[in-house]
Amino acid sequence: MLNIKNLYSGYLKLKILFDINLEVPTREITVIVGPNGAGKTALLNSIMGIATVFAGEITLDGIQLKNAPPYKVAQLGISYVPQMENVFAELTLRENLMMAGYMLNREELKNKTDQVLDMFPILKGFIHRKAGTLSGGERRMLAIAMGLMRKPKVMLLDELSTDLAPLITKRVMEGIARLRDELGITILLVEQMAKRALEIGDKAYLLVSGEIKYSGRASDLLHHPELSKLYLGVKEVE
Amino acid sequence: MFPPWLAGGLVYASALSLTAGGITLLYITTRTFNFAHASMATFGFYITYIFYSFRGGNLYQYLPLSFLFGSLLGIICYIGLNRPLLKRQASTITLMMSTLGYDLILLSIIQMLCDYLSYTFKLYPRRVTMSAFDFEMFGTSAASIITPLIAITILTLLHLFLTRTKFGISMRASIENPILASASGINSDKVYLMSWVIGGGMAALGGAVMSLTMTGTPVMGMTVIPYMFAGAILGGLENIYGGILGGFIVGLAEYVGIYYLAVKVGPWILGYRMALPLLIMAITLLLFPRGLAGIQWSYLLESIKRARKGAKS
Amino acid sequence: MRNIGDVLKQNLMKREVIISLVMLLVLTYLAISLGFPIIFSTLILFFIFSIVTLSLNLEVGHTGISQFGRVIAVIAGAFVVGAIPGRILAFLYGLPFGLEYADDAVNYKVVPLIHKILEKDIALALGFLLFCLVLAGLSGALIGWLTSRPAIRLREAYLGISLLAFGDFFMWVGHNWEPLVGGTTAVFIPDPFRIVWGYRMQAVAFTLLAILVLVYLFIERITKSPFGRTLKMLRDSPLVSRVYGKDIVKIRTQSLVIGSAIAAIGGALYVIYTGTCTAIGFTRLTWTFWPWAYMMLGGVGSNIGMVLGVLVLTVSRTLIILYRKSLFGFLLLWGIDPIWLEFTLLGLVIIFIILFMPYGLVPEKSETVLPSGRIKAILESVRKQSSQTPEN
Ligand SMILES: Nc1ncnc2c1ncn2[C@@H]1O[C@H](COP(=O)(O)OP(=O)(O)OP(=O)(O)O)[C@@H](O)[C@H]1O
Ligand SMILES: [Mg+2]
Repeated sequence: MLNIKNLYSGYLKLKILFDINLEVPTREITVIVGPNGAGKTALLNSIMGIATVFAGEITLDGIQLKNAPPYKVAQLGISYVPQMENVFAELTLRENLMMAGYMLNREELKNKTDQVLDMFPILKGFIHRKAGTLSGGERRMLAIAMGLMRKPKVMLLDELSTDLAPLITKRVMEGIARLRDELGITILLVEQMAKRALEIGDKAYLLVSGEIKYSGRASDLLHHPELSKLYLGVKEVE
Repeated sequence: MFPPWLAGGLVYASALSLTAGGITLLYITTRTFNFAHASMATFGFYITYIFYSFRGGNLYQYLPLSFLFGSLLGIICYIGLNRPLLKRQASTITLMMSTLGYDLILLSIIQMLCDYLSYTFKLYPRRVTMSAFDFEMFGTSAASIITPLIAITILTLLHLFLTRTKFGISMRASIENPILASASGINSDKVYLMSWVIGGGMAALGGAVMSLTMTGTPVMGMTVIPYMFAGAILGGLENIYGGILGGFIVGLAEYVGIYYLAVKVGPWILGYRMALPLLIMAITLLLFPRGLAGIQWSYLLESIKRARKGAKS
Repeated sequence: MRNIGDVLKQNLMKREVIISLVMLLVLTYLAISLGFPIIFSTLILFFIFSIVTLSLNLEVGHTGISQFGRVIAVIAGAFVVGAIPGRILAFLYGLPFGLEYADDAVNYKVVPLIHKILEKDIALALGFLLFCLVLAGLSGALIGWLTSRPAIRLREAYLGISLLAFGDFFMWVGHNWEPLVGGTTAVFIPDPFRIVWGYRMQAVAFTLLAILVLVYLFIERITKSPFGRTLKMLRDSPLVSRVYGKDIVKIRTQSLVIGSAIAAIGGALYVIYTGTCTAIGFTRLTWTFWPWAYMMLGGVGSNIGMVLGVLVLTVSRTLIILYRKSLFGFLLLWGIDPIWLEFTLLGLVIIFIILFMPYGLVPEKSETVLPSGRIKAILESVRKQSSQTPEN
């Protein structure tokens, strides 16, 4: 279980998150929603050790992550798919996948690569192209594939659905649910398409201006009379 | 085989391409403009000189030792100075100044070493003409053939390392996006250390090569460092190949350009030899503020092709 | 971990006073034990480098320009004083003044003749000195304006390296083009202090002190003025200044022009003091890197810090040079000249400051846009208003 207690964090000296308490139970999907600039990405960056943590605790199954450099966090089995700049534009797709699977051995790397390419067959055709030449959607798929390469215990997914066609978004969301159900991966999902995410999610948190304004079951937040209207843009819920 | 001015020019250009390549590598990985390249290069020359003075034989066999010693100097700089500053997210200027401090300390050590060598071993290390110890090959100095080969070999090895090995690819990944690389489990610390090993080694090797075409003195590197920077800047500071190419152009321009000008304008221009590469850098920067990398090559080729076609039809 | 800079920040004023007192004590001791000449030459160097470092701080500390070519402006001042005023006097008094003036065989005969004239006429000597300084200031301003052209276009590190390279460029030009300042041989500068021959050192020192005070007051004034605050705003956040409609190009140019003019005056004073101008002596080590070290030691952005930084390092250098035999004499056993320790000192100082004292001796004080009195008054009135209407 990924556990965050009384976290204050930000960038360099700038404070962005205030007193965050968050639980991400194992084998569950935890959804974080909130308006632009709320600090959702900052929260994921704090977990990865990219942002600066001023106070509080971040633990994964009891292991302290606070102030660990990102590569150590990654080695513990946390896989991060960032919102932006989530592929190496100057590297070919194959090299990208290789870097994503940096911690795997040769055998595992080959198997995993085949596995994720089967998941996104469209990428197979571009395998020797530079990632910078991909379209927005293709790039996003590559980023997700890279996230899966890392043999994750926990995945931090930041706004996956951006750039993707609605149909693909739906498939990706279903895929995420399968990751939880079939592979038992713990997932922390940050989503702008709140409705879709909350539908598959177990727990949910609402983050506004760096503070948690709501925590509870995902379906409750989806049906919350005020919050859903105020922050999620979910108008009519059937 | 080559006329003397071209032979010297090739050696000098090889030396500058090695050093400018190292400067570029260090800049794109650690954001550090390494002033210490000056004394690292000088040290490289003195290592070869010392070994040659004491053991004799073919002087080229000592070049790998220079490389290794340069790597050692690079490691010291990284661990003692660069790493703590990078952790603190120091500014480019601070990083630059810190290597200047390191350079001055190295310079003082070199000066003391020279005193020691001349006092204890009765050597003359303050003005060394290494080319006197060179031999002939195909009717020209061996250096003019061997040193470009060295530069090409290093370039090839570097290219293979960066494209064929996992660690090399991870270096490129870290250069492009340090955060994503780190989140993939790549330890950027190792990447930076490696770039100091390679960069320092190339600096020292470049210095040793350089002494084959100019008088080796304790301030050799200090005198030449603007040209190393000029090469790196000309190359655009975006990838190592650019730096290597930029160094080569600057080096060759200095020798060949001044020879050409001396024939055309008169020998008085020889005194301004040192000024020529800087002028080239200045003009390039004014035209292309991002160096050679800023030129849109494909666009340029395209328009040349089109112009040709237009001329034909 | 708190670094030394933070701890020291608290008792700021005390530290400035203590450092100055210690340095003065050292100087007094040197004066008593070694006689006055050494003191005067140390002081003179201290004054000249203070002027140059203050100008550097204006550009780097207050404006945020990566000025790695301080030597360019210094050269502008030095060369112009080496090349022009002497020629004018030579022309006025019918001596050779053309290209041949700088030829060493001619120059060493012409300048003593000019001295003969300067020795007698105090008005002429003073006018000559003033003319030199104005000329240097103008040429420095011109060079500053020229360097401001690329300074607007290039990124900070590119700019730094380009300026560094151009410093070398000008040095080589001076070294090779004999008619300018004698090329490989030095050109003599007519000495306006001839008239007080027995007390030349003292006269030079006091003149320099006066000029340093003027420069200091001038820089202090412009950095405390709205212009200075704009400079700092530009340095700390270029975007904000653009939003507020500050013309970045103009302001950077002004800072470079003023800074370079002052540095050029420093260069002019140096050649007037030494009486000769040797092109090859204007190295980036002496005129760019040392001033950077002084500035970083003093505390980037603080004016008084510059003076202290130069004082501390100049005195330490003098001490090293004076006592190198007795303190580091053991090095001589291996034939090593302890003079090289000067480089070691410079390198160590730079590294030590960067690692352990990033704010220098006198950390820059953060200044508020309004005087503190005004802020207090505003706070007071706000408090009053809110206490009058507590319900709302
Ligand atoms: N590197 C940075 N340095 C300083 N401030 C930053 C940095 N990155 C983000 N911020 C600021 O931190 C705040 C939170 O940003 P964050 O990226 O976490 O928002 P978000 O909730 O992910 O928004 P969005 O839905 O738009 O992605 C924003 O105000 C942003 O401007
Ligand atoms: Mg975000």
